[in-house]
Amino acid sequence: MKNVQIILNAILSKNIFEYALIDKNFIIIDISEGISSYLDTEIKRGNDALRHFPEFVGSEDEIRKIFDNPVFTYVLESIYKNEFYVNITVEHFDENKALVLLHNISDITLSKQKLLQCSNESTLHNNTLQKILNSQNALLFVVNNEEISYTNQKFLEYFGVKRVGDVRRKNLNLYQSVDSSLESYDALFDRLNGKEEYITINNDTFILQASLVEERHKLFTLTKITKLSKEMELDGLTGVYRKSYFNAYFEKLMNENKEAILVVVDIDNFKNINDSFGHQVGDEVLREFATLIQNNIRSRDILARWGGEEFLILFEDSSLKDALRKINSIRELIEAHNFKIIGSLTASFGMTSRNKEDNCHSFLERADKALYQAKNNGKNRVEFKKN
Amino acid sequence: MIRKKILLLGDFSVGKTSLVRRYVDGSFDDKYLTTIGVKISKKLCSIENIECEVLIWDIEGSTPSKKISLGYYKGASGAIFVSDVTRRETIDSLDEHKDIFLSENPEASFVTAYNKADLLTDIARENIELDEDTFFTSAKENSNVEALFIKLVEKMLS
Repeated sequence: MKNVQIILNAILSKNIFEYALIDKNFIIIDISEGISSYLDTEIKRGNDALRHFPEFVGSEDEIRKIFDNPVFTYVLESIYKNEFYVNITVEHFDENKALVLLHNISDITLSKQKLLQCSNESTLHNNTLQKILNSQNALLFVVNNEEISYTNQKFLEYFGVKRVGDVRRKNLNLYQSVDSSLESYDALFDRLNGKEEYITINNDTFILQASLVEERHKLFTLTKITKLSKEMELDGLTGVYRKSYFNAYFEKLMNENKEAILVVVDIDNFKNINDSFGHQVGDEVLREFATLIQNNIRSRDILARWGGEEFLILFEDSSLKDALRKINSIRELIEAHNFKIIGSLTASFGMTSRNKEDNCHSFLERADKALYQAKNNGKNRVEFKKN
Repeated sequence: MIRKKILLLGDFSVGKTSLVRRYVDGSFDDKYLTTIGVKISKKLCSIENIECEVLIWDIEGSTPSKKISLGYYKGASGAIFVSDVTRRETIDSLDEHKDIFLSENPEASFVTAYNKADLLTDIARENIELDEDTFFTSAKENSNVEALFIKLVEKMLS
């Protein structure tokens, strides 16, 4: 036995390995001199091994197999014992004894711990950044080498995808939403050049901005302003388009040389309503009147309040015959409608279609003249003025 | 004396070590130090006059790139699955931790800790439903830590 102990002590270098010999009942038979430095209680021959090696609790049956079979070993790695990190191995010694080896791996484990600490902290920081980016209302995406490499959650939700890979597969090519002649995100970035542009995607309006994150990463932000811009476009009282919006739209339409039919509408004798029932009732009538027209034209037709009790209707992609029929039916609807408080009212309509020589002013002026004619001819009627 | 091995399992930085330290030593340290490998602590419990030495295995947290060695799971009678209630992903991964643990120890008992509950607003707390084996815990404020461990020991001894 003494020889064995000498051999063991010789083989196992003092600070790297320590050992204990245990029997089948988990009683300590022998120990190396330095083993106590790994244990928080004094170890003696004859002690219960489970008291000093709680690591074995629950695995007693597995360890007992080692006594009968030299092939079996029991290994636990990176156990923190009394301020050291050790690997614990239980090996067959003979049929009545097993050898418990403690391999001090503190140096390498502490190095690993530093790396892991750094990695975990970095992951936590990244998670925090991700949460901040996901809490933004803007849609964020990063382009690297012409490929969308990162997006925030809002971006994924808006485009109905789960992950960045799906964005790539969808081949969104958002630069073409700004200008169909653009062929790359680099071109879009150069065009923006630190400024912002309005962009329409799926009928939503966004402000698009771009900045360089690193040399190769371009961050684009899309801030949705649809709701805000819509509110700015609508008349506060009636909810139909404002004159300013109509003017801008009208000018664009004229510049594009598109066919159109323009109607100027005026409520007959509206002054009497204000005088008899007051302005509050007058406002209510205007709201009801506008809603009645809005509900009876197509969603692509433009209805705007021109001022006071005058409204404009702009038809595109509609034949003169259809537009005339529609306006006459609206006139009849208004006449038949029972307005709250005041009961019935009528309206007059001046209508014209665009000719090639028209500009905004001439087109509008002709429609206005048609309205004047409708008023002079007895009101509650539709007059059409040829171009 | 009865000795029982229990494991604390969960993602990294959910507060496993802090829960053990609070339960065993009654102390708390705000500084985060990553656990590597495993540290075993002992605690003597007495449930209805039955004395039990609980061997608490505080195991390193799993990270996306590093899974826990299966050798640690062997012979465990119970487990506490720990999540950080402020990090949704740590709650979502609890099921994965449970599946691995129960595949190694199908008869074992377990409880669950939604830790760092001191960081939770009252409204957020009300929106999370807990079963009888799940606890809002705070090692920092010493809230429900004892109850969590005792519940597990009771389940193991019953």
